[in-house]
Amino acid sequence: MAEEKPHSFLDPVVLAQLAHLPLMSRFAMEGSVSGHHKSPHRGSSVEFAEYRSYVPGDDLRRLDWRVLGRTDRYYMKEFEADTNLRCCLVLDASASMGFAGKLGPSKFAFARQLAGTLAYLAVQQGDAAGLYCVGEKTPPELPPRRNPAHLQEILNTIDDLEPNGPTTILRALHDLAEKIRRRALVIVFSDFFCELEPLLGCLQHLRFQKHDLAVFHLLDRMEMEFKFDRPLRFQDLESPFSLVTEPAMVRDEYLRAFDAHRARLRQACLEFNADYREVVTDQAPGQVLAGFLTERAQQVGAH
Amino acid sequence: MTFLQPFLLWGLPLILVPVIIHLINRLRHKPQPWAAMMFLLQATRASTSHAKLRQWLVLLFRTLAVLALILFIARPLAGGWLGWTLSPAPDVIVIVLDRSASMESRLAGQTVTKREQAVKLLAEAAREFQDKSHLVLLDSATRIPQQLANAKSLLEPTLTGPTDTAADLPTLLQLAHNWLVENRAGAAELWLASDLQRSNWLPDDERWKSVTAQLAKLPQRVRVRLLAFDDDREPNISATLAEVFRRARPDGAELSLALDLARNATNGTARFPLALTLNGVKSQAELDMDGAALRWRYKADLGAAKGLGWGALELPADANARDNAAYFVFGSDSAVRAAVVSDQPALIRNVQLAALAPATRQPAELLTPAAFLERAATDAALLLWHAPLPDAAGERRLRGFIEEGGVVIFLPAGQADTGKFMDLGWAEAPSAPADKPFKITRWEQQEGPLAKTDEGLSLPLGDLEITRRAAITGDATALAAFADGSPLLTRRALGRGQFLFLATVPHDDWSTLGDGSVLVPMLQRLLQTGARRLNQETMAACGELSALDRAKQWISTDGTIGKNVALQAGVYRSGERLLAVNRPAAEDERALLTADSARNLLAPLPLQLLQERAARTDALQGEIWRLFLFGMLVFLFFEAWLVLPPKRAAVTDPLTAPSARERELIDVT
Repeated sequence: MAEEKPHSFLDPVVLAQLAHLPLMSRFAMEGSVSGHHKSPHRGSSVEFAEYRSYVPGDDLRRLDWRVLGRTDRYYMKEFEADTNLRCCLVLDASASMGFAGKLGPSKFAFARQLAGTLAYLAVQQGDAAGLYCVGEKTPPELPPRRNPAHLQEILNTIDDLEPNGPTTILRALHDLAEKIRRRALVIVFSDFFCELEPLLGCLQHLRFQKHDLAVFHLLDRMEMEFKFDRPLRFQDLESPFSLVTEPAMVRDEYLRAFDAHRARLRQACLEFNADYREVVTDQAPGQVLAGFLTERAQQVGAH
Repeated sequence: MTFLQPFLLWGLPLILVPVIIHLINRLRHKPQPWAAMMFLLQATRASTSHAKLRQWLVLLFRTLAVLALILFIARPLAGGWLGWTLSPAPDVIVIVLDRSASMESRLAGQTVTKREQAVKLLAEAAREFQDKSHLVLLDSATRIPQQLANAKSLLEPTLTGPTDTAADLPTLLQLAHNWLVENRAGAAELWLASDLQRSNWLPDDERWKSVTAQLAKLPQRVRVRLLAFDDDREPNISATLAEVFRRARPDGAELSLALDLARNATNGTARFPLALTLNGVKSQAELDMDGAALRWRYKADLGAAKGLGWGALELPADANARDNAAYFVFGSDSAVRAAVVSDQPALIRNVQLAALAPATRQPAELLTPAAFLERAATDAALLLWHAPLPDAAGERRLRGFIEEGGVVIFLPAGQADTGKFMDLGWAEAPSAPADKPFKITRWEQQEGPLAKTDEGLSLPLGDLEITRRAAITGDATALAAFADGSPLLTRRALGRGQFLFLATVPHDDWSTLGDGSVLVPMLQRLLQTGARRLNQETMAACGELSALDRAKQWISTDGTIGKNVALQAGVYRSGERLLAVNRPAAEDERALLTADSARNLLAPLPLQLLQERAARTDALQGEIWRLFLFGMLVFLFFEAWLVLPPKRAAVTDPLTAPSARERELIDVT
C-alpha cells in the first residue's frame, strides 16, 4: 500500500484548471477495459460503426432484427469499441536535467510537475498511467495501471527521484519501445542533450510500434540565450569535465549548434507524426499542459 | 637609446602585470554548472584557434602598452649615432673635432658646412650629457684638450671655427689617450667628427694600431662614436699654387705663376673668374676648365718693382670656401743659383754655363765633393753632382738638401761607380757604334724639366745624339728614355724636393746634350723648382709653422684683424718679413676613407658610426617619448578593438535586440 503524502510538485490550482480538459489519444489505443478512447476493435459502445453480413458464430444479440424483419437478411450491427488509455510517462533523470537557470525551477523539477500532473489527470479520467524513469541507477519502472493506489506510487516515485548520472535515454527508449506491447500514449520528458541521429532512431522505433508519441523538450532560458559577460568555468553536470572559456567569443557558434539541434529535433518529430513540445522552464506549467491537452482534444475532434 | 630617467627602467618588470592578471583571471573563473556542454564544446572547437589568437594578441598589446608607457616616462633619447645603449652617461666625453679645411665643404644640397653641422649636432648631443659628464674638446687645429663648461661652448667660433689646417687623426687620438691617462678619467667616450679624408686619417700609419690598442687597454671603458661626413657630391674646385717665381727680364721682371686647379665634377666645361691680387691690387681673369684637373700658368709683369711682394689667387665661392685661395710671396730672384760638384771640371763646363743664375747671369759655382761636404750649408737651389755617388755622410747631407726643397741631378762620373744613392746607382753600359748614336724617343712633355715651352713647342730631345751612356739602376720615374727603353733621365721625389739621374754627360765625348737647346731649359727649370728650398722662409703650410715663427707677431697684409697665422691661410707680415700661409697640400687630396676602413682602424674599440649626409637637427639624438606615447595609444586602441564583441553578436544579443527578447521557439519551416 503506497503511503499517501502531499506532493509539492502537484499544484491544486493547476489541477483544478486542467480538470475539465481530457487527456486524449490521437490514435486508437488498445486498452484493457472500456474507456473514453477509440479502440482498433469493434465493441459495445453506443457509437454505431457499420453493418456487416452475419457469419455463423456471431453473437446473435448483435443481429439487427429490424433489418431481418424487413428484408429477411441477416445483418450484424457493429458498434465502436471504447477503451481506456495507457499513458506511459518517460522521465529523463540524467544529471543534465538538474540544471536550473536564474529564472524558474530546474528542468527536472519542471518535468516532474508535468509528469505528475499528467499521471494524475490520466488516472482521474479512468486511464492507466505508468512511469518509466531514465537514469543512472536501475530506475523505477511502473507499468500503466488505473487504480489510485498506483497513482500514489507513481507520485511517490517521482517525488523521490533526483537527477543523476549521464544521459541513457537512447538505450532506455529502445527498450521501452519493445517493452510496451500494446498501443499506448508515450510521453517523453527530456532535454535531449545527446546525439541527435540515434535519438531520432529511438523516437522512430516508438512510432513504429504504433504508440502515440508526445515529446516534451525541456530547455532553460539560460541555455537558449547563453548570455554571460565574463569568462567562466563551465562544469559539465554529467562528468567531472570543465571548460574555461570566454562566452562572448563562442556565443555565436554555441547558439548556432544549439538552434540547429532544436530545429532538427522538431522537424524530425513533425515527420514521425510525434507531438513535439518545446518547453522553457520559466513558462507556467498549467499553461503548458493546457495548451498540450487542448491541442490534442482538438486534433481528436478533427479526426 | 639612452634615457634621461634611467632608474624608471626598473619598472620594466611591470610589463608582466597583464600576464599575471591574465593568469589570475584564469584561475579565479567563476564556476558555472552547465548541461548543454555538447554545444559548448562544439562551439569552442570551432572558434578556438581564432579566439586563442585574439586572446594572445590582446595580451601582447596590453604588455606592449605597458612597455611603451614605462619607456615613455623614462624619457628616452635616441638617434642613429648614440645607438641603443643602456649604459649610464660616461664620466668624460672627449669631442675630437676635425677642423681641417676639407670640413668646410657644404653638405649636399645644404648651406651648412660639414664642420658647422658637426658642431651643431655635437652640441645638441652633448647638451643631454653636460650635467653628468665632463666635456672636453680636442680640435685638430690647436690640438689642445680644452674642458668645456657646457655644451653651448662648442658653438664658440674661437673653439670650433673654420681653419685652413690639416688634421692628423692618429695624433689626435693619441692626445685624447694621453689626456684620459693624465686626468685619470672614468668611463669615457670619444666623439669623433670628421669627413674621413684619407690624408687626415692616414690609414697606413703605424700609430693607429698602437693608439687604439692603448685606448682599448685603459682600465676604464672607452667607447668611440664616429660622426662621418663622407659625402663629397657638391661641385667644388680647389686651387693650389704649384709654382711661383720671379724671372728677370731685360726690361724689368715678371712673375711666373702656376696654379693647379682640381674639381670633383669631371663632366662639362666650367667657366669662372679668377681673381688675382698682386701687392694688394686686384685683377681678374676668365678661366675655362674641362676635365678634373688643370694647371693654369700666368705671367704677371712686375715692371721695375724690386723687393718683396705678395699676392693671392682666388676662385669664386663654391662648395668649399676654404680651398679657393692660394697665397704667395715672392722675393728678389738674385738668390736662385746652382752649384756644380765635380772633380772633372773640364767635363762639366757646359753644365756650369747652362745652369747660370738668372739674376746675376753668373755661371754656377764649381766645387769639389770634398769642398761641398766641408761647407756647413749651401744656398744653392740646384746641385749638379758629377762625382762618385756620396758615402753615408754625404748622402745624409744631400738628403737634407733635397728634403728642404732642393733639386739634385746626378751625372755619371765616367769611371766604374758602385755607390748607391737611395737605391739608385749606375751600371756600365756599352758605347754606341760611331755611326749609330743612341736616340731619345720618348720623354715627359706635360710637366717637369722636359715639358713643352709656354708657347707649346717641344724641346728638341729627338735631335740629341748620345754616344756614351751609363745605365741607371733602381726604381724611379723615367722622364726621358732611349729607343731601347732604358732611361735617359729619371726622377724621384724626396721630401719637398727631388733628385734626378741623367744617363749621360753634356760633353762631346758623351753626347750632343752640351749644345744647350735641351740642357739650358732643363737646368733653368730645375733651378726654379729648387728655388722652393729658398722659399721656405716665405711660404708655409697652415698649422705647420715652426715654433719660432709662431711666437712672432703676425699681421695680415689684407688688413683683416684677428686672423690667426696658425689657423688661417693668408699673407702675413712680421716686421720686414712676409709669409704666405696656404692650407697643406694634403687637404686638396679628395680621397675619402670608406666607413668600413674607418671602422677597421678603430676596430679594437666599441664603435658607433653615423654617416651624416643631410643636415638634420635631430640626427644624433632627440627625445622620442612622443613615439612611445603614440605607440602606447596605438597598442591600447588595438587592444580595445580586439576585446570589443563582434558586431554580429551585438545584433543578436537577446537583451538588447527587442525581437530576440521574445526568443522562445525557432521557426523550422
